[in-house]
Amino acid sequence: MSWPEIVIQSLKDHEVNIIAYVPDVVTWRILSKLENDPYFRVVPAAREEEAMGIIAGVYAAKKRGAVFMQSSGLGNCINALGSICIPWRIPLPFFISMRGESGEFNPAQVPMGRAVRPILEALGLRYFTLNQREGLEKVVTEAMDQCYSHLLPVGVLLSTVLTGGKLGTS
Amino acid sequence: MERPEGIRVVLSRLKNEPVIANLGLATFDLFALGDRRSNLYTWGGMGMVSSIGLGVALAAPERKVIVMDGDGSLLMNLGSLATIARQQPPNLVHIVWDNQQWGETGGQPTHTSTGTDLAAVAKGAGIARVASVSSLKALEEAVDQAMAEDGPWFIVAKVEEKRRVPCPEVMIEENLVRFRNAFD
Repeated sequence: MSWPEIVIQSLKDHEVNIIAYVPDVVTWRILSKLENDPYFRVVPAAREEEAMGIIAGVYAAKKRGAVFMQSSGLGNCINALGSICIPWRIPLPFFISMRGESGEFNPAQVPMGRAVRPILEALGLRYFTLNQREGLEKVVTEAMDQCYSHLLPVGVLLSTVLTGGKLGTS
Repeated sequence: MERPEGIRVVLSRLKNEPVIANLGLATFDLFALGDRRSNLYTWGGMGMVSSIGLGVALAAPERKVIVMDGDGSLLMNLGSLATIARQQPPNLVHIVWDNQQWGETGGQPTHTSTGTDLAAVAKGAGIARVASVSSLKALEEAVDQAMAEDGPWFIVAKVEEKRRVPCPEVMIEENLVRFRNAFD
């Protein structure tokens, strides 16, 4: 399986079927498949913070959802994580397509890209980085299991080494 | 109309439909007027209540879902109106108690006090079923129609801010567990 297929299979294994997102080139390789898969209800949001709120609501109604965004978008949803998802203990897997790392061409993407991990650490949230195809199933499964056993949001960082980034093709 | 009177009208039309209340005054009033297991109170994440309500509506399409928003909060998340319009959840009833002020931070006037028309914004975002009311009678009619017919509905209720109820005891995790269990 390709890395997008592994992520999709893991969503299904964990009965995650409502997906809120703000797209980018990398996550679109997952999202475009979800859009055409009747298992999923896919909700484009105007801003990443909305996506967090939507999936918090999904969990409040006893269903499961996930969020997809780019690293810059994490800056748009810090308060939704800190003031909604953490105090309510919402298990919410959020997938972040990393910018500002290997292969980055745009200096404006570097500061937020570098800040992703410190921001998540400051919030006390766990995150897992998908770096390589080998062993990927295990890492994704561990991230999802952590999320639903600990009942907190968990970040899954899609590194450009794995995905090829915006300009890559892998 | 005052917001507590308006909330009373809405509650009188409900059985076990989920209600998600905006942080601050809407949460305080809803708790005081009728705490019930299908009430979800927000305590943070200003602006998020419309998005949370959309998530509940998508996950529970068989129930009418009522959001009680505020003008200051919705102004922080106007994009959610476009997102709601794109999804067209027929079961969502989004009510904004528009007191034209940031009521929980000292009553500073919001943009609706200087002409921003949230009903027009919602229409422009693509929500067709919109009502703007300033009397209890008009609110009753709008809510009755919204409960009977498919939406998404967007109702702006202009309210006067006169009395305040005390902040209830904060019980965030228990409230969410109780609300979720109503979906069994």
